Amino acid sequence: MNARARSFWREEIALVALLFAFFAGIVCFALPLPFDARLFPLVIGGAGILLTLAIAAVELRRPLADVPLPPADDPAATVGWPRFLTALLCAPAFGLLLWLFGFVVASLAAMLAMPILMDYPHRRQIVVVAIVTVVVLTVLCPFLLDVSLPRGVVGDWLVDKLFPDI
Amino acid sequence: MLDNLLLGLAAALHLKQFFFMTLGTVIGLWVGVLPGLGAPVAMAILIPFTFSMDPLSALLMLASISVGGAFGGSVTSILLNIPGEASSAATSYDGYPMAQQGNAKVAMGLSAGASMVAGIIGVLILMFASAPVAKASLAFSPAEYFALAILGLTVVSVAALGSTVKGLAMGALGIAISLIGVDSILGTERYTFGSVYLLDGVSFVPVMVGLFAITELIDMVIAGGTIAKAGKLDGSLWKGFWGTFKYPFVLIQSTAVGAFLGMIPGIGATAANFLAYGIAMRSSKHPELFGKGAPEGVIAPEASNNSCIPTSLIPALTLGIPGGVTSAILLVAVTLQGLRPGPMLFTSNPELVWGFFMGLLIGAVMATLLYLVMIPWFALITVVRIELMAPMLLIITLFGAYANDRNMMDVFVAIFFGLFGYFARRHGYPLISLIIGLILGKLAEGSFAQALMISDHDYSVFFLRPLSAAIFALCLILVLWPGVKKRIGHGGAEAT
Repeated sequence: MNARARSFWREEIALVALLFAFFAGIVCFALPLPFDARLFPLVIGGAGILLTLAIAAVELRRPLADVPLPPADDPAATVGWPRFLTALLCAPAFGLLLWLFGFVVASLAAMLAMPILMDYPHRRQIVVVAIVTVVVLTVLCPFLLDVSLPRGVVGDWLVDKLFPDI
Repeated sequence: MLDNLLLGLAAALHLKQFFFMTLGTVIGLWVGVLPGLGAPVAMAILIPFTFSMDPLSALLMLASISVGGAFGGSVTSILLNIPGEASSAATSYDGYPMAQQGNAKVAMGLSAGASMVAGIIGVLILMFASAPVAKASLAFSPAEYFALAILGLTVVSVAALGSTVKGLAMGALGIAISLIGVDSILGTERYTFGSVYLLDGVSFVPVMVGLFAITELIDMVIAGGTIAKAGKLDGSLWKGFWGTFKYPFVLIQSTAVGAFLGMIPGIGATAANFLAYGIAMRSSKHPELFGKGAPEGVIAPEASNNSCIPTSLIPALTLGIPGGVTSAILLVAVTLQGLRPGPMLFTSNPELVWGFFMGLLIGAVMATLLYLVMIPWFALITVVRIELMAPMLLIITLFGAYANDRNMMDVFVAIFFGLFGYFARRHGYPLISLIIGLILGKLAEGSFAQALMISDHDYSVFFLRPLSAAIFALCLILVLWPGVKKRIGHGGAEAT
């Protein structure tokens, strides 16, 4: 079994373990509930545990030589780890920035940083597209979604400090 | 019936509905052209935008995205041999050779003609079959509803690519997630751990945004680059469009295949696409021309996937059991608008239901016209750099998740499900099973509890009623059949 297949197999086992833990939690936390409220969770949690055990049994009993490789068309197999990490972390990083600094800062950061991290060479084009996109979205989103843009924890704190009367 | 048709026509022929149908179709065509970014992704991203819309506009816009996506999916299949949507994969078998022969526009015209006819027939079947199915479902007891929910989940898990056990596990996960929040029977808090956010349960919108949009985005960021170097179109679009009608047998046969498969939960447009292609090839007088640019090879898959979309709404609207991704998203939109799918929807909201049906009918023609007029422009989308498009989609997607309830927690839930969905899909866990489990969870638990209450906690109620027993038997056959087939195959191989 080569390193790629081993890490793919470990991913699979981690996924099964996560599912098992979730279903075990469903069963355990259902036990103190009244009978009618716990019955269905016990059925579903029990079924989930059996299914994950069946998947685990298949994976663990499989001979090492038969461990499947990632799909041939899997783009993750052909790119380096910086691109892979960018792909995985762009959404959590944007979420964190949105929570802390609000829509405008998070959007600008995403529009400027993501193309650079993806090795897009035309910096001037990135800046122009980022500014135009953020301005358009800042104007359109509240109108289309009928919701005000989040200012973030830091933004709210700043507004409270600088404009206490608003 | 005539009254309902007129009522629906009056509701659909409103300028506002036209606007949202056009918008939905254009978005659908756009995302359909882009491989990876299919109609379900666009529908999931745009669900939050529908909250402030009236129910008919919201449903018509989402359904139009689905129809537009099916139309647009054929473009890259024909031009680049890369299906824009999985449901257009078989179109590339003959569409791409036609493009190589300098007949790209003819192939697109054939695709448009077949899609329009099949779409119209599919909607007509939806119109005439929904009301009787809804009426018949009034006779169902909670035991049957529970059995149907399990059947829907089983069929989707079995039909999904990969392992059935993984599909069922994802279905169970979806149902388990639906248990979070206040229990609908007794009002007991479950799995909330004191969190106010979890009292209402996990919302559909962030889960769908995560599973469909974020997972695709991760793949897009990894892949990078552009889809094509240039969108080149040759031949005559209209020649192809009228050429469709030279093959009436293939057109009707493939439409029937797609319409039938659409009604069965879990089969979906992708399977219909391949099956119709295979049947058309076998029934052709010149099967040797298939794969070399045969017009029937474009008509068959396009007719089947477009007739499949409207008929997949029959179980969703009448029984509340979604047949596939797009009908699941539409079902979520129906629920978010405060409506309950099922027979009561037809009696309490006839204007909405029939307006929706008539809107779909008009939408099939509208999508064809927009496709024929705008497709040269949409082909240019394939040259847009993913590096610039991905961050825009990320912002719109996650802000949409936030706008759902103006709650940052929804953003984090979407991100969590996006990451989980990415790894789950990589390992062959079908995400559609999770969504369908989540949608069916409340129905399954409610009917399970009601059936037990009615029968005084006698569990045999699920197996003594003939219909529910038959449905459960069908579930068992579906789950066991692949294993039995494999064993028979092995036995046969050993014997020989």
